[in-house]
Amino acid sequence: MNAALNSQTEIILEARNITRFYPGNVALKDITYRVYRGCVNVLIGENGAGKSTLMRILSGVERPDLGEILLHGAPVKLRTPGDASRLGIAIVHQELSVMQNMIVSDNIFAGRELTHSLLLDVASQNTRSAHALQQLKQNISERAQAGSLSLGARQLIELARSLAHSASILILDEPTSSLSNAETEALFDVLAELKSAGVTIIYISHRLHELLHLGDHFTVLRSGSIVGEGSRNEVTRQWIVDRMTGGNRSEALAMREKAVSQEVMLAVENLSVSASTSSTETCSALHEISFSLHKGELLGIYGLLGAGRTELLEVLAGARKRESGIVRLNETPLHILSVEDALRVGIALVPEDRQRDGLVQSLTVRENIALAGGGWSLPAKSKEDEQMRGVVEALNIVPKNLELPVSSLSGGNQQKVLIARCLMREPKVLLLDEPTRGVDVGARAEIYRTLQNLAAEGLSILFTSSEVDETRMLADRVLVLRQGRIAAEISGEQITDDALFSAASPQVQNISSTVVGVTA
Amino acid sequence: MSTNSALATSHAERLPLSWARIALTLLRSRAALVLVLLLVLFASTIPSYLTLTNFSILSKHIAVAAILAVGTSFVILAGGIDLSIGSVVGLSGMVAGYMLLHSNSGIFIAVLAALFIGTAVGALNGWLVTKAGVAPFIATLGTLYIARGAGLLLSGGKTFPNLASNHPPFSMIGQGTLFGVSVPVWLVVILFGVAVLIAIRTPLGRHIYAVGGNERAAQLAGISVGRVKLFTYLFSAFCASIVGLVIASQLEAAHPATGESFELNAIAAVVLGGTSLMGGRGSILNSLIGACVIGVLADGLVMLGVSEFWQMVIKGLVIVLAVAMDQLQQRLQARLLPLLSAKQSTQTVTA
Repeated sequence: MNAALNSQTEIILEARNITRFYPGNVALKDITYRVYRGCVNVLIGENGAGKSTLMRILSGVERPDLGEILLHGAPVKLRTPGDASRLGIAIVHQELSVMQNMIVSDNIFAGRELTHSLLLDVASQNTRSAHALQQLKQNISERAQAGSLSLGARQLIELARSLAHSASILILDEPTSSLSNAETEALFDVLAELKSAGVTIIYISHRLHELLHLGDHFTVLRSGSIVGEGSRNEVTRQWIVDRMTGGNRSEALAMREKAVSQEVMLAVENLSVSASTSSTETCSALHEISFSLHKGELLGIYGLLGAGRTELLEVLAGARKRESGIVRLNETPLHILSVEDALRVGIALVPEDRQRDGLVQSLTVRENIALAGGGWSLPAKSKEDEQMRGVVEALNIVPKNLELPVSSLSGGNQQKVLIARCLMREPKVLLLDEPTRGVDVGARAEIYRTLQNLAAEGLSILFTSSEVDETRMLADRVLVLRQGRIAAEISGEQITDDALFSAASPQVQNISSTVVGVTA
Repeated sequence: MSTNSALATSHAERLPLSWARIALTLLRSRAALVLVLLLVLFASTIPSYLTLTNFSILSKHIAVAAILAVGTSFVILAGGIDLSIGSVVGLSGMVAGYMLLHSNSGIFIAVLAALFIGTAVGALNGWLVTKAGVAPFIATLGTLYIARGAGLLLSGGKTFPNLASNHPPFSMIGQGTLFGVSVPVWLVVILFGVAVLIAIRTPLGRHIYAVGGNERAAQLAGISVGRVKLFTYLFSAFCASIVGLVIASQLEAAHPATGESFELNAIAAVVLGGTSLMGGRGSILNSLIGACVIGVLADGLVMLGVSEFWQMVIKGLVIVLAVAMDQLQQRLQARLLPLLSAKQSTQTVTA
């Protein structure tokens, strides 16, 4: 505690008066962010608050439009990730940045290879990689193909990369989002060791209990501004939540009467999907998933990365093949082979990655919404127009001009365009994969309200979320997925942060004890 | 009782797994297998096949395809494509011809000028792709026409004849021998030696695989993606320039149309070798095998008296089949990798 207090006086890294513009909004508004030497510097904020932008600037991936960065009090230029890594700043990115076609030790030394008279020193690379992996207490071979590893293991490769290069400042951008409990604990041990070795850590996470456990110094970002700074002894959970939300969380979502009918809209029985790994993606398996979705219900699916959330929605939407299981809509068994089949019976999906899977960026808002039109002939313009106007009005898409390119809209409004497209098909079941990913706070509340209104009108909604807050606020009932199975079903008042966390985290001790039991 | 059933299931799982492994190994080394098969087939059906003269002719055919394939391999491994190499072959020969006939600079300068101008096309490709942001397919399609046009302009469309009459040593590049092995074959050996060394034992080689595997991740890891790509286009054009010199030396003349559609042959050789057009996966040595397959097939079909038209059909079939096999291998691997890693993890749990 004393040491931490003393070192708080010493600023190792300072981002001074940083401003960063993105098309359509300001990601960072003239902020000054200080990083204290030898501390765990925690950065907190909602999605879209600007945390990742700030970290990309500190790691040389992006450049600020205004402002400067000082390391040990002297201005430095961070033009490329290479610049940052030469200055001892390492980052574990939120997005996985691993070359799946290469082995682990090649990944760890990518860009900073060890050489011996111009040639690669493969032996040293392997030894040092093995050492770094041992430090992480992970049973990962340094010669394993990175693509064959689990998501959590791949994330740890990036951490091993910073360890192997003995970085003096280590940035972790939501490192635990795809880790199991055991992996998370190993990570915390390593962070404690690094801290005692004098490494400065910048830590970003959504998980408040983690942050309160680890942090020495706290900074809260909201909508591109710093709204709070404090050291460990002045920070409480309430302090963080108040600053993150601006204290108006309770009114963000009006209480709604939860009038879910007992009528079952969608019934899923024993749905299974097999896992697959390809060069471009890794799909988790689903095992014997059974649940029902009622008319007018907002059913949440919560789980860690790789638990099978996206896969489940994709199967229901016809975008992925199921291995076995029955899906019933209004008690009629469905035979869905394609997305078109699913749309025809009234199941529509808003995918997770808007840019990649959702919108055609080069088309206008109108054209994007009209993509939903089925059949070979274009519908009569006037009829299409009328329906579209109704949907756009109901969703409050801003600006109202439908002829604008969809790329000029904000993230929140792009999301509404996607929802609008689905509504054009008048679905009975709406599936949403991470409905507020990359959507700013204001637009989030609006999307929540939209979903609640739709549910109130009788639409059955199934959504996934990796955020506890969102799941808790929005869902009438939550299914927690863990490693491709339904681990828990929680409803109403019982939906709490702790309940969701503990159900979603893999229970490693239990598994190993059952294995021991079998072999004995 | 329970141990018995456990044994039975593990045995049942192991059997198809080992079969799948064998199938995978065969699929991985399919280019070499096809090469051996072709050699056996031709040796048993053509009486004069296993003679020294035949193999020296064969090696010359293969040499040209192989040198182009090695350059193309790097470009494709880094996730790009180079369509301009056929034109660079022509341009390089024309520059050498022009220098030999219309200047008194001597062979050495003529060869250097050909290599320099040819490689400059690679620099232009690299600049277009990395700085101007033109897609590799379009950028190199453009330079395909530019380089071809430049070659035609040098002579006004005519052939530069009798290149070796005033400079006899020029014919050595394509026709000479060293220790009983022809110079083009030596060039193959040297270029492949260097390329394999780069690919396997240097940081640059790792960077090429990294850029081809996941460009964004490579960039985030601090690799200067632009420089890596520039290298691949420079090396590819350099190899093509050498081929231009070899052919001009063999013919003792430079014809502006030389090298047309060579780029497609080179891409075919690389793909036959199992290198993914998506980048990041494949090996240089396999490209040599791929070039050998195409060379041996073409040569053997000629000796068998198969018509030129059928030769094209057969070559096309072989290429399409090779890529189909590649997809099969990918699918098998996708199924097998989780199984294999699951097996490893259960082993570690029990240990």
